[in-house]
Amino acid sequence: MDVRVCGMFSAAVLIRLVLLCVGVYQDQNLQLKYTDVDYHVFTDASRFITQGESPYRRSTFRYTPVLALILTPNVLLTAHFGKLLFCACDLLSGWLLLRLLALRGTSRGSALVCCGLWLLNPLPAGVSTRGNAESVLAVLVLSTLLCLESRRLTAAALLFGLSVHMKIYPLTYALPIALSLAEAPSRERGLVPNLIRLFNRDLLLFAAVSGSVFMALNGTFYCIYGWDFLHEAYLYHLTRRDIRHNFSPYFYMLYLTAEGSGTGSGNWSGSLALVLFVPQMLLVLLSSLAFRSDRPFCCFLHTAVFVSFNKVCTSQYFLWYLCLLPLVVPRLTLGRRRGLELLLLWIVGQALWLSPAYSLEFEGRNSFTLVWMAGLLFLLINSFILGQIICHYRPVEAQQKKID
Amino acid sequence: MSADRTCIIFYLLSTVSYFIHNGNSQEADHCFSSEFLESLSMSMKITKAGFHRDLLYSVEWGEVDHDVKALLVQKLPSGVYMDEYQLETLKHDTGLEVLLDSKVDLEAPEYLSSGFTALVFLSGKHEATVPVHGRYHRPSNSSQKWVTVEIEPPRLFLRSDQCVLPHHEATEAPCTVRNHSICSWLEILRLEDTGVVSLEIPVGDSSMILSVCVGTVLTAALSCVFLLRSIWRHGTF
Repeated sequence: MDVRVCGMFSAAVLIRLVLLCVGVYQDQNLQLKYTDVDYHVFTDASRFITQGESPYRRSTFRYTPVLALILTPNVLLTAHFGKLLFCACDLLSGWLLLRLLALRGTSRGSALVCCGLWLLNPLPAGVSTRGNAESVLAVLVLSTLLCLESRRLTAAALLFGLSVHMKIYPLTYALPIALSLAEAPSRERGLVPNLIRLFNRDLLLFAAVSGSVFMALNGTFYCIYGWDFLHEAYLYHLTRRDIRHNFSPYFYMLYLTAEGSGTGSGNWSGSLALVLFVPQMLLVLLSSLAFRSDRPFCCFLHTAVFVSFNKVCTSQYFLWYLCLLPLVVPRLTLGRRRGLELLLLWIVGQALWLSPAYSLEFEGRNSFTLVWMAGLLFLLINSFILGQIICHYRPVEAQQKKID
Repeated sequence: MSADRTCIIFYLLSTVSYFIHNGNSQEADHCFSSEFLESLSMSMKITKAGFHRDLLYSVEWGEVDHDVKALLVQKLPSGVYMDEYQLETLKHDTGLEVLLDSKVDLEAPEYLSSGFTALVFLSGKHEATVPVHGRYHRPSNSSQKWVTVEIEPPRLFLRSDQCVLPHHEATEAPCTVRNHSICSWLEILRLEDTGVVSLEIPVGDSSMILSVCVGTVLTAALSCVFLLRSIWRHGTF
């Protein structure tokens, strides 16, 4: 095996081990804990499962029972099992990225550099060692894309069904996947024959397998845990209106209009919530059509847009598109300096939000207006960076793919 | 003759009532003497700032020859909440013993929540630090930037394993934080009033609702249009 690859992965393992040890020390000795609250939520839910009860007895457990099931060794073996699993998923994601980049024709050297963006990045390492489960989803999404690139459709459909079961956002990938699997419309035929041709064997197989996996999992868990499962795992996320401060540009507006009584016209907060879906949907639809020939780039764009325009946004969500960034970077014509400038801009945007948010939550200063403005600025920064990425990207051409 | 009889009866009655009275107070004396009750003092403070605070309780008493357990019954308004999972971790780490009387929603805003009661057990230690968190309140439509949440002083209860309290003086409450059994506790009234403790929570400004909505929608629309334009120009259709 390549020395450089070994070196990269060893460094990644080392970083995560060090952070894990720091975490253990900090949890035992300092007031401010390293481990995230979510990790305790997962462990408590797993404990309920080992006792034969519903994991939804643990309040704020809003995930699939699959997660509580795979973390039962937290209760049975060691409390650190989950973190080790998430770090292993991080490393597996790195390996999947290498394979995907090789399939897309990237040279070994640049593939390694791009992988380093994920493996040696402190953000995913920190998130996994703190006990958040985002890397599990990164593995599922990347392996779906890898199977699609190597034309293993059944495996891809299985993994896709599982990913959508675990978190809703990969559902947006259905559109670019469908468009890329479907045959290109022919100008000779009419509209209706073209629409029928859209549903070719590949697409139907994919839809059937992923649909069955999704329905089977949901059906099983609904039978076992009832309405609680549907509500906590899915409906909560769809109807969630978190009025507490977060990165979303809509947070302050949702807080002020929460009771809908604003200027006396009753239900305009309901229609407001619907209006907020429009930018996400428009952008997702148009980018699917525009970049359907380049699936990883399309998925990256989808997720970045979804997260930036979402009603709730916390720093874990950034990992959803960060795991796809190494696939996009090789075909970017941005210079290294420009890339670093954009990265710095993104970090500055976050810092400008974190500062008033900290003084609001921990110092009691009324910095709501500052937090609101910082949220809007962060949206503008994200949009600018995405715009720059779109402008300087060379997508994989459909013709080129057919030749390969 | 009748006067003598009256005297004797009166004398007997007063002797009997003296013994009854003394007998009762002796029982109470045996549990908590009046010097002990005089030596009792309680204080409550709130520390830190922002949404996450600590309530510091301190109960002091003089020398006593038997083991005394104290219980603080703290009523809390809907403006704050305690995290039962955090309390569970603290019980494990620092031995803090707090029992909540109902399921407390960790995420709901103040206007969708109700008050609750926390039972703080102080056996052995005379101090406790209990973390409490502020909820999001309704935005204010005046220029008020903060809302004040007042926490009344807790009620103090004592019991001792060595004595049994007379029934009419006792209040029933869980014996320990594990809530397996009910014991009789003596409520201590006439304590020096520690006064109400208050915390200030920042609230949103309702008067800005129009500018916030317009500003947010405009920015989102601007970003959306900018991205749509980029995608349109550089995509392949």
